[in-house]
Amino acid sequence: MNLTELSLRQMRSALDKKEITSAELTQSYLDNIAKTDAKIESYVTVCDEAAMKQAAAAQERINAGEVSPLTGIPLAIKDNICTEGVRTTCASRMLENFIPPYNATVMEKLNAENAVMLGKTSMDEFAMGSTTQTAYEKKTKNPYDLGKVPGGSSGGSAAAVSANLAPAALGSDTGGSIRQPSSFCGVTGLKPTYARVSRYGLIAFASSLDQIGPIARSAEDCGYLLNSISGFDPHDGTSMRRAVPDFTSKCGQGVKGLKVALPKEFFEDGATEFVRGTVLSAAEKLKEMGAELVECSMPALKYAVPAYFLISSAEAASNLARFDGIKYGHRSEKGSTYGELIMNSRSEGFGREVKRRIMLGNYALSSGYYDAYYGKACALRQEIREEYNKIFETADVILTPTAPRTAFGINENITDPKMIYYSDICTVTVNIASLPAISTTCGYDESGMPVGMSVIGKMWDEETIIGAVDAFEKTFTRIPAKGVC
Amino acid sequence: MDLQTFNQIAELGKLTFSDTERDELLSDMTEIIDIMDTVKNADLVYDPLKDNKNVFINELRKDNAEPSFPTAKILQNARNMNNCFVVPKVVE
Repeated sequence: MNLTELSLRQMRSALDKKEITSAELTQSYLDNIAKTDAKIESYVTVCDEAAMKQAAAAQERINAGEVSPLTGIPLAIKDNICTEGVRTTCASRMLENFIPPYNATVMEKLNAENAVMLGKTSMDEFAMGSTTQTAYEKKTKNPYDLGKVPGGSSGGSAAAVSANLAPAALGSDTGGSIRQPSSFCGVTGLKPTYARVSRYGLIAFASSLDQIGPIARSAEDCGYLLNSISGFDPHDGTSMRRAVPDFTSKCGQGVKGLKVALPKEFFEDGATEFVRGTVLSAAEKLKEMGAELVECSMPALKYAVPAYFLISSAEAASNLARFDGIKYGHRSEKGSTYGELIMNSRSEGFGREVKRRIMLGNYALSSGYYDAYYGKACALRQEIREEYNKIFETADVILTPTAPRTAFGINENITDPKMIYYSDICTVTVNIASLPAISTTCGYDESGMPVGMSVIGKMWDEETIIGAVDAFEKTFTRIPAKGVC
Repeated sequence: MDLQTFNQIAELGKLTFSDTERDELLSDMTEIIDIMDTVKNADLVYDPLKDNKNVFINELRKDNAEPSFPTAKILQNARNMNNCFVVPKVVE
């Protein structure tokens, strides 16, 4: 039995039947990390000793027959999720030595099940980026081709799952940061409905858009992990008191009768011809499986990228104002006055992309510009929500490419704002409208790089999109990453 | 974006830049604002009444005093002395 190829459900079964131990399972992943992560750089921190201690504690619980779904199962955690006593850097110099005094609610939930944390995964600094190349320490590589980016911002989590350095991981998604790297790394990533998962302890980027979610090898595994992290949290006033269903309940049911909408704008100029063709072929495959394809339109898509960047940067500028070098975070050695200390700490602690977003956010919120930029972006948010509502009057789910192109080279011009910002065009509307969406692989380009497609659902209807992608994945042959074999 | 606006925005964000950084970022900002300017073409006006339908009704905790984190734990990531954060002298 190859322990690092089991699904989460298979792991559960093998652990419960005592065919394997949590220590064996954990050690097999730690061995893989030791062997290959120097090349991929997906982990900022590997928790070898702590993970083995957690595995031993989990095994006691398994032996006592008191298991929860994730007891003894190893996972990777994005480095913007607070983990008590374990360094949480947000891939920034600002938080290079930050050790949280508390756990994020998702970590409390995982700990309550005695899941095992393998380590903390790299990301774009403060989750601002689509390449994981803005990380201060570990600039993650794509396991399919080490010369290409893994996407971002949850590039470390996606690459770790893709390279068998974790069976599943948590990421966060503000404008596509779970789905786009999942697409680039050939794995499955789910952005839940806003308010489905508590954001308490997630280091804030844009509070009205941020959402924690799973990255795994399949839609079913994503649903399995989502079951354990969802639910109302008194520490997060925006989380929703709502029953948590079994998100895997529609797995294995197929797509017969499912109405799948294809908004034409997502298949026009932005996406490459190959990506367009591959996703449309996947749509035809769903049709052969019994789904009904519905044509539709989202005219506001052409404004989605600027609207997203205005809203997210405005919120980021406010959220990142807390980093003053005094209470926690990087503290400059220069500055003889209170004001100078704050200015120098922030200027030394933040990287270029973060500074750009703070500048843009403050500009958009400034007197004289507010209505023209932030006010207009909020109007567009309403318009995009209405356009989604209209599409869902005649469809159950929406199918789009996850990214306009496959993973690009690390040496390409990845600091060009236009190129980088428009690479998010296929994903940002989902966050703007608070909807759930899942990305899975639907093909490979001529270089063998994965092509991702996204299935977007109605609010609170993760089961349907997980079921639809599960049906597709059962007919699709995934090619494992070769970059590290 | 002109230099004066740039400097004002940098001051708001509590950021300082070297001359090289400033020139690079000023060029970036000009390009970024060109992208953002496209929203001005959308013939839409924000309607606060519409948003009321979409905003979740927050379920806030009761405002009861509860024990918080121990001071030592909160200070562990900061330069501190006698259970206080250390800052440069503010008042002479």
